[in-house]
Amino acid sequence: MPGLGTSFGRGGATTAQQDLARADCILIEGSSMAEAHPVGFRWVMKAKENGATIIHVDPRFSRTSALADIWVPIRAGTDIAFLGGIIRNVLENDLFFREYVVHYTNASCILRPEFRDSGEEPSGYFSGWNEEKRAYDHETWLYEGEGLSYPHRDLSLQDPRCVFQTLKRHFARYTPEKVKEVCGIPPELFRKVADALTNASGPQKTAAICYAVGWTHHSKGVQVIRTAAILQLLLGNIGRPGGGIMALRGHASIQGSTDIPTLYDTLPGYLAMPRGGKGEDTLDQYLKKHTNVTGLWHQFPSYFVSLLKAYYGEHATASNSFGYEWMPKITGDHSYFSFLYKMLDGEMEGMFLMGQNPAVGAQNARLERTALTRLKWLVVRDMVEIESANFWYDSPEIERGEFKTEEIATEVFFFPAAGHAEKEGAFTNTQRLLQWREKAVSPPGDCRSEGWFMHQLALRLIPKAKASDDPNDEPLRALDWWYPETREGEPEMLAVLAEINGWKTTPEVGAEGVVHGNDRNGQLHHGPQLDKYQELKDDGTTASGCWIYCGCYASDGVNKPKARQPNDYLGHGWGFAWPSDRRIIYNRASAAPNGAPWSEKKKLVWWSAEENKWTGQDVPDFKKDKSPTYRPDGKEKGLEALSGDAPFILHEDGLGWLYIPEGLQDGPLPTHYEPLESPVSNQLYGHDTNPVENWFTRDTNRFAPPGDSRFPFVLTTYRLTEHHTAGGMSRFLPHLSELQPEMFAEISPEAASILGIKNADYVSIITLRGAIEARALVSRRMRPLRLNGKTVHQVAIPFHWGSAGPIRGDVANDLMAISGEPNVTIMETKALTCNVVPGRRPRGAAFEPWLRRYAPQTGPENLHPEQPPPGAPTGGKLTPGHGQHGKSV
Amino acid sequence: MNPASEERLDRLREEARSKGVVNGRGVDVFGGPIPAKPGYYGEPVVKPPVWTWEISTYFFIGGCGGMAAVIGAAALAFGQAEVTRAAMWIACAAAILSPTLLILDLGRPLLFINMLRVFKYKSPMSVGSWVVSFFGINAVPAAILMELWQRDLFSGAVGTLVAVLAILFVIGTAFWGMFLATYTGVLISCTTIPAWFLHRVHLPIHFGTAALGSAAGLLELIGFRIAPLYALSLFAAAVETLLWIVLEVKRHGAADRALHEGTAGVLIRLSELLGGPLALILRLVGAIPAAAISFLLGALVSRFGWIQAGKQSGCDPESVFAAQRL
Amino acid sequence: MIGEGTQSTNQRRHSYVADRVEVGFFTDPSVCIGCKACEVACKEWNQVPDDGFTWTGNSYDNTGHLGASTWRHVLFVEQDRAKGNQITGPISLGENGEDPFRWVFLSDVCKHCEEAGCLEACPTGSIVRTEVGSVLVQDDVCNGCGYCVVNCPFGVIDRRPEPLPNAGGAFKCTFCYDRQKSGLTPACAKVCPTESIVFGRLDDLRARGAERVKTLREQGYGDAELYDPQETSVRGLHAFSLLLGEPEAYGLPPRPQVPTIYLKSSWMGAIMTAIAALVASLLAFAFLAS
Ligand SMILES: Nc1nc2c(c(=O)[nH]1)N[C@H]1C(S)=C(S)[C@@H](COP(=O)(O)OP(=O)(O)OC[C@H]3O[C@@H](n4cnc5c(=O)[nH]c(N)nc54)[C@H](O)[C@@H]3O)O[C@H]1N2
Ligand SMILES: Nc1nc2c(c(=O)[nH]1)N[C@H]1C(S)=C(S)[C@@H](COP(=O)(O)OP(=O)(O)OC[C@H]3O[C@@H](n4cnc5c(=O)[nH]c(N)nc54)[C@H](O)[C@@H]3O)O[C@H]1N2
Ligand code: SF4
Ligand code: SF4
Ligand code: SF4
Ligand code: SF4
Ligand code: SF4
Ligand SMILES: [Mo]
Repeated sequence: MPGLGTSFGRGGATTAQQDLARADCILIEGSSMAEAHPVGFRWVMKAKENGATIIHVDPRFSRTSALADIWVPIRAGTDIAFLGGIIRNVLENDLFFREYVVHYTNASCILRPEFRDSGEEPSGYFSGWNEEKRAYDHETWLYEGEGLSYPHRDLSLQDPRCVFQTLKRHFARYTPEKVKEVCGIPPELFRKVADALTNASGPQKTAAICYAVGWTHHSKGVQVIRTAAILQLLLGNIGRPGGGIMALRGHASIQGSTDIPTLYDTLPGYLAMPRGGKGEDTLDQYLKKHTNVTGLWHQFPSYFVSLLKAYYGEHATASNSFGYEWMPKITGDHSYFSFLYKMLDGEMEGMFLMGQNPAVGAQNARLERTALTRLKWLVVRDMVEIESANFWYDSPEIERGEFKTEEIATEVFFFPAAGHAEKEGAFTNTQRLLQWREKAVSPPGDCRSEGWFMHQLALRLIPKAKASDDPNDEPLRALDWWYPETREGEPEMLAVLAEINGWKTTPEVGAEGVVHGNDRNGQLHHGPQLDKYQELKDDGTTASGCWIYCGCYASDGVNKPKARQPNDYLGHGWGFAWPSDRRIIYNRASAAPNGAPWSEKKKLVWWSAEENKWTGQDVPDFKKDKSPTYRPDGKEKGLEALSGDAPFILHEDGLGWLYIPEGLQDGPLPTHYEPLESPVSNQLYGHDTNPVENWFTRDTNRFAPPGDSRFPFVLTTYRLTEHHTAGGMSRFLPHLSELQPEMFAEISPEAASILGIKNADYVSIITLRGAIEARALVSRRMRPLRLNGKTVHQVAIPFHWGSAGPIRGDVANDLMAISGEPNVTIMETKALTCNVVPGRRPRGAAFEPWLRRYAPQTGPENLHPEQPPPGAPTGGKLTPGHGQHGKSV
Repeated sequence: MNPASEERLDRLREEARSKGVVNGRGVDVFGGPIPAKPGYYGEPVVKPPVWTWEISTYFFIGGCGGMAAVIGAAALAFGQAEVTRAAMWIACAAAILSPTLLILDLGRPLLFINMLRVFKYKSPMSVGSWVVSFFGINAVPAAILMELWQRDLFSGAVGTLVAVLAILFVIGTAFWGMFLATYTGVLISCTTIPAWFLHRVHLPIHFGTAALGSAAGLLELIGFRIAPLYALSLFAAAVETLLWIVLEVKRHGAADRALHEGTAGVLIRLSELLGGPLALILRLVGAIPAAAISFLLGALVSRFGWIQAGKQSGCDPESVFAAQRL
Repeated sequence: MIGEGTQSTNQRRHSYVADRVEVGFFTDPSVCIGCKACEVACKEWNQVPDDGFTWTGNSYDNTGHLGASTWRHVLFVEQDRAKGNQITGPISLGENGEDPFRWVFLSDVCKHCEEAGCLEACPTGSIVRTEVGSVLVQDDVCNGCGYCVVNCPFGVIDRRPEPLPNAGGAFKCTFCYDRQKSGLTPACAKVCPTESIVFGRLDDLRARGAERVKTLREQGYGDAELYDPQETSVRGLHAFSLLLGEPEAYGLPPRPQVPTIYLKSSWMGAIMTAIAALVASLLAFAFLAS
């Protein structure tokens, strides 16, 4: 999550949901928290009970809006404009938390004279744009002064080149009038929100912001979150109780799968994946590049080498630079979408699909299903036979005669998977909290856990590798596959947790603090557990599978994620929150520079003069004994280089970043760009869309031009409480299916009368990619928006349905386009344009010709003018400067 | 999941496959998120009765038999034993058919006997179950004994015993009969169905009268063209005519509109016509069998009409609201 | 209150059954988020079959009504009315004239009436009152006569049709009597994330309900009322709720009555008729039998 990662240092929610109850105002935007995070929402209701103002900004009046004090309907894809407006209001009227901003943020840092803002000509571009590469050279974005560690600062914030003044100029254009013109939010309503937020901020009060994929699924998702980060830093709401930014994550352990990533370009603990041909060929080069002089990332080598030790065990030695050569080096965009295209082009032989249902969940799903038919083999591990497993005999394409079962060569291996209640392990939830799950029942029949599958696969592959002399098999041969097994042939999950936590690598017989010390052959394997990541070394004497998790299963042998005795409101004693069980991170900021709480009401962590250490209600996110008055003399390295009033210890300068000098692909400051498909063109800048966007252009993946009269409606997608994502976990369960049995589209009465339809009629929804049918759910919960002069109608559809299971509905993602946000290659599912026609779509062979009448796939008129034509270089990702800031979503 | 629901799922999958979607009903408010229908999207506030044809038929047959017993007893009292004998056979037939129909209507017929687990005077259904049972244990012996007596197969002491027993059982049958013929009105009156409870006095009177007339008519059709039966039939038809007028005059608006609208409206009107004015006129012009048949039909149709009215009224939220605002 | 955690009566173990304490539900739509977890938990725990995959088009409610296979039902009421001082988009700011809108969720259930029509009417004694004052159908006794169905003033209980499993019997909320006996709270209350369903001692809940109405009215919810008809013959509900606006909009009867109050007049009519019929017959044969 680079939005948060670059702004504050860590790619995770800054707070805990329980803490929302302490907020004086909660802005929920880009999430329908009550629907998608119902259990956490109880804390929002608690805050409301305590008198907090709840604001929901959403294109739909959702179940969350129903419980909010203020619902603000917004045009999908315009959140930067809206939040930008609030930031302007804060800056113009001096409503920011001055002392916090001056001391804790980089407002005072001086930028280089070469830097040019996106507001200046050419409008919509920052300095450093390279048209051929369709990417930025980040040089001009850096501070004046010694790199990022010791920038020149002007604490009076007067210097015209300081971040604060730059910010002021940048957001000056985001006036309430523009907000109305762009977002469709009238000034009166805008003011209500702006006042609610600013009135609930300051020493005595705090406001929190909650978001989820209503923000991230945009061609500028990261920058939307950046805008929120800027606002919260200006209002002094980060690191303080009742404040913060609550990133509401997706699947039960999606935070876990970014910490220990299922992503191709980061390694556990947000270490950058080595890149080929980017001066990272040797370990030293790599470490040099990613080690910051100052701040927590100064320890980068210890984290990385410890990871290599966890991977390769005794095979990793100083002499072979701990097996760095064995690490795969990425040479290009290996995100899901690029290998989707490889599949389409027959360049990919096979695929393992574990816990994913792209035939329904992935964008341009028709393309997705077609791609699956081009594979030689496909392994699907799932609890039910999902669309991604049965596409070859039961899919819309089969029904339309576009696929013929006998012509599909893909060999599908379906492995029944064990569900979460049928296996042991840990989840890391939305607030960085590790929670251990016990196995409730044994999986039925042949169902097996992921652990079992991977372990058994390794046990079969490693001997093969050992038998071969192919150098490419060396990494497999070198792998330290030590895990002890259970009777069922599963790896001991606790042993895995022990490895993740980390240990001293040298085994000592009968040493204190050793857990699961013996490998599967009963041989002594490692030494005592580590207690904190500070103990990690870069000399191979320590190993850790994920440095940020260090301490969760320490030398006391206590499985902290399993703890269930909360002993305070933040829930310490229940599970383990990384890092070091801190529930609210950057909490040094909850105290004034002098170390005293900002106010009695909002105290969390403070400096106790008598004990000479930081104490309070949370684990201090700061060197325990570093006094507030400590000042570095400019020679120190690592944390020593950070002064006693620098709360954001991961950053080289210990400051919260209003402005991102390094780490983002599409600019140091958020700029409003229109969605790739939009009914209007950009009212704020000369460029419509995010210049660095990767459009993944194909004839079958086209975007409608701005204001295309054939696609007058704004289309957005969302979730229902009753279903889960692509449906494998809900559509097959009768007790959930009966609650939302059919695909529908939410339409305003006004739009309905234009279309001449009434509630419950069938409509067909059409984009340049495809068409689906749905029942019309006509409700005043959808509102037409009045941008100046123009009225925009929005249509919202859930995306849970598919062709398998007891209830059936068309696949919303047949309408979506594949696109890649520059930093994290995330698609834009939340803002597109579409056409809506009364009646059901044709069946069988009649479908395609009917669709093409509305959505031709040829010619420039059916291509967004800013969309590079097929074959042009793709933007985004893998341009230089992608360090550990570039955390994933 | 159990096999039953699995099968249903399969059928739904099929439907989904063929139709493309699972069938669904919509609401007709054009663009209106606010239910144009009364109450909560027009959903019933109370539940309509689950009863089917068996119950209506039982009301008719039970009533017939019950009042036949009453007439039979009266006849016996004034020495018209052969009328009694026929009446008792009618009662006996009813006594056998009634429980059969009741059991047929049960969701779990085998547990019928649980009706006799308890006696709850506050529950017309409980009271009724006992009434039917007692009527049964009286009617069957009564019929047999009357037969034996009338054929006087026995003489002397046995003969007298038979006679005495016959008389006792006839009286017993008559006693339970009068309640069997009228309690059914109470049964449906004491419910949450507006069209029914709003006519809680009317209903037992109507059902009772209809029963009396049917019994008399049936005896006439069997061949007893005698003055008392003629009088009773005339009386019943007259009362029915009166009741119809009352029903038309004493309306409760939306609360009991089910009686005047739709299928129920037609059935009830038809039944009142057949059992009231038409039967009356036919009788006065002397077309006795026609009159009897007309009345019997009326009595039968009426029972179906009232059950139908219950269903309509129960499904109509406005009728419930209206009734409670009365 | 929300956030009481393990202290909440929804989570705490209890011994109400052994202590014969009257318990109940207080349902508060002002904090209900319409997640339907209660509906699902109920069906899961009690193994109630699914009863059809029908999309209604009535807001987000595809359940429709309580019945033999739906013991919890979350209502979704969309009204052109303000909810407290809620601002719902520009219109409620009076930009184009006052034009308010609100969406209210309410989780409905068997009311476990003080005077229970179903219980009074049941001829088999299948329906009983438990130690905790709840109304329970004993499935093994019920013969499916269907009389309770027309005796529930709230249209709750119903006879389960074929081909559903265990068809023919009458079903409704059991108040999770089985769970309560072993000290657990009812499944629906247990899972309710915002404690919109509160389970506890009836007396506590009544006090709490009154308190809540007061607070809400102070906060501008002018139309907040308790729905607990104690003045009618139903004499109060063990599962009562707070309502925003009139009961009709929630498909609830404004003045529910137990049908037993009709017994007297109706039986009077029956007995009169019976006697009249007897007398008429006697007279007929006395004077006309020639
Ligand atoms: N019941 C349930 N819970 C879930 C899931 C589920 O499928 N079902 N999925 C889980 C997963 S994987 C995830 S990622 C999370 C997602 O959690 P959410 O992000 O809360 O879920 P969504 O409904 O996809 O989107 C949230 C809201 O964003 C709104 N929205 C759309 N476009 C815009 C926009 O441009 N601006 C703003 N401000 N709002 C917009 C939509 O109307 C919607 O109400 O939920 C998790 N929780
Ligand atoms: N239009 C549109 N598209 C979207 C979104 C959107 O908002 N709009 N949201 C996007 C988001 S945020 C997400 S996260 C994706 C989700 O998209 P997917 O991840 O493709 O969809 P899921 O249904 O979550 O797939 C999870 C599968 O894993 C299976 N499963 C569950 N537990 C286990 C297990 O323990 N082992 C194994 N092997 N399998 C298991 C489930 O049965 C299910 O089939 O959808 C994306 N697609
Ligand atoms: S499904 Fe799990 S993660 Fe999602 S809200 Fe419910 S409890 Fe929380
Ligand atoms: S609500 Fe109906 S079913 Fe429930 S106790 Fe009352 S009368 Fe019986
Ligand atoms: S259906 Fe069952 S529970 Fe209902 S009244 Fe008849 S016997 Fe009693
Ligand atoms: S108490 Fe039990 S049976 Fe009743 S609704 Fe709740 S979960 Fe269902
Ligand atoms: S579980 Fe609670 S919040 Fe969810 S619908 Fe039921 S009552 Fe409402
Ligand atoms: Mo997600």
